[in-house]
Amino acid sequence: MPTGNAPPSVRPMTTGRTDGARVVRPGGAGARRGRAGPRAERFAPYLLLAPAALVIVVLRLYPLLLGVNFSFTGDGERNGVAVGLDNYLELLRDPLFRTALSNVGLLVLLLPVAVAIPGLLATFIYLRVPGHRLYRSVYFFPGVLSPVIVGAIFNLLLAFDGPFNALLGAVGIDAVDWLGDPGVAMFVVVGVHVWATFGMALVVFLAGFATLDAGLLDAARVDGASLLQVIRHVIVPGLARTIQFVAVTTMIGMLTSMFGLLYVMTSGGPEGSTYLPEYYIWIQQGQMNRPALASAASTVLFLVMLGVGLLQIKLLRRAGRED
Amino acid sequence: MSHARLSRWLLAIPMSLLALATLYPLLFTVNVAMKTRRDYVLDRFSLTDALRWENISTAWGSVGLGRYFANSLVAVTSSVLLLLLLGSMAGFALSQLRFRGSSALFVACLAGLFVPFQVIMVPLARIMADSRLIDTYPGLILVYVAQFLPFTVFLMTSYYKTIPGEIVDAARIDGNSVYGVYRRIMLPLGTPALLSVGILDALFCWNDVLMSLVMMPSADHRTLMVGVTALKGQYADDIPTFASGVLIAAVPVLVAYLFLQRQIADGVAAGATKG
Repeated sequence: MPTGNAPPSVRPMTTGRTDGARVVRPGGAGARRGRAGPRAERFAPYLLLAPAALVIVVLRLYPLLLGVNFSFTGDGERNGVAVGLDNYLELLRDPLFRTALSNVGLLVLLLPVAVAIPGLLATFIYLRVPGHRLYRSVYFFPGVLSPVIVGAIFNLLLAFDGPFNALLGAVGIDAVDWLGDPGVAMFVVVGVHVWATFGMALVVFLAGFATLDAGLLDAARVDGASLLQVIRHVIVPGLARTIQFVAVTTMIGMLTSMFGLLYVMTSGGPEGSTYLPEYYIWIQQGQMNRPALASAASTVLFLVMLGVGLLQIKLLRRAGRED
Repeated sequence: MSHARLSRWLLAIPMSLLALATLYPLLFTVNVAMKTRRDYVLDRFSLTDALRWENISTAWGSVGLGRYFANSLVAVTSSVLLLLLLGSMAGFALSQLRFRGSSALFVACLAGLFVPFQVIMVPLARIMADSRLIDTYPGLILVYVAQFLPFTVFLMTSYYKTIPGEIVDAARIDGNSVYGVYRRIMLPLGTPALLSVGILDALFCWNDVLMSLVMMPSADHRTLMVGVTALKGQYADDIPTFASGVLIAAVPVLVAYLFLQRQIADGVAAGATKG
């Protein structure tokens, strides 16, 4: 269902934009004062929109402001008292939050890999590797499972005395404490997240490929271009928008949908090494009863997401211009 | 040309290995769920010698998974129905009607897309507690609706934009009110989009763990995904029962995927291409 193929229409499509004073659509205005009075008709769009707008404003946008405001007040005895930047200073001093932030840095570093894997696989599928239809549906399927289920399954597989280590032992590799070693656990959790979600990104890539000019690919192939050259000179520039979209959504996904995995697989451990901001927020709010501190962490997370989004868009624009 | 064909077959090797890596964890879990404890300890990889459904019924009964399953069904069904109702109403207004302030309202709805639950968790929990909605189904349903409504409105608006305005005009000339147009024209015409958005919304709500964990603190009110996390402590040394519990939670989604794979994948792709 792409946007491009809207059926042609004589009347300009109303796209949610309005030109101000005109309340009734042009064309046949006299006929539309049917049963309901003109007044009721005039308010109809607002009444249709009101429930959705109300829910979104009250339960999404307003809490954002409330949370920012809340982050400048205190917890416990200082509940409701303005404390300036105290919460933010405490965050900076807290080793757990610092780990959470450096793990965000790790996610940013791993992002190119998380985008390249589905991108490459989508390329192969697009180039009609034998069995491509089957691959598409197999790869996509872990994406529909809850992180809780994925985490539970990998808890089994990666247990110290579990099957994965048994397999490694069979080929003579020493067992690794996948979820118990602070130097390894975060990579394992990110790996499991990528295992679960690369199929989603793959589907998005394939939708992007559908908009790619097939003639260009054929031309490249006739000219004897290698696969790498095709990727570099035809696919990457042609899919710049898709790549940008996947990069942003993958990053947002890593920042906001790994809670289930962390909760089930590591509980933030070992030694706090798998903390991410979302897990920190939940611990401070739910377990430590520090809602104001949690709000400060939420505000930082929001700023990080905003920054990452803007930065990526900027970088990709520049890359696009150089090509 | 044969060189190209050969390299394509070579690519198929890593791709099949990856497909195996994608399927194996689930197949392993199914196999383990059917084993006895003793079998699992002795050999983790051997195929089970019988289908032991008693593991499934133990898991279903003991930590209250049955109850959590029902809780999830209630929360997910109500949330999805509400999401579709509010989303289609708003989508119709934003795509087919002209009114003052519509662009500002459209932007406000979309802005919700960029506010993840983690960022507003604390104030939202407070709002819910102040209005006595915490630990209640209406509260959880409202939180789900608020979470997935921006996405739903966005997709419904894009879908309704593809419906020619002449259809609406004709219905109006026939004497329908705006609401009549919504009920008699837009709802039926929107069925394909409502179906695919509804499936995605259902999947998101069913799979949620954080929102339910924050909004439903008492044990009876747990949704299935939160209930599954409780299995870990309970059956740390009874892996087959643990695996059975995991399967119970996974089966509805796996069945849905088998039948609705195309709609799910199309929905994800539509969310992307319409951006």
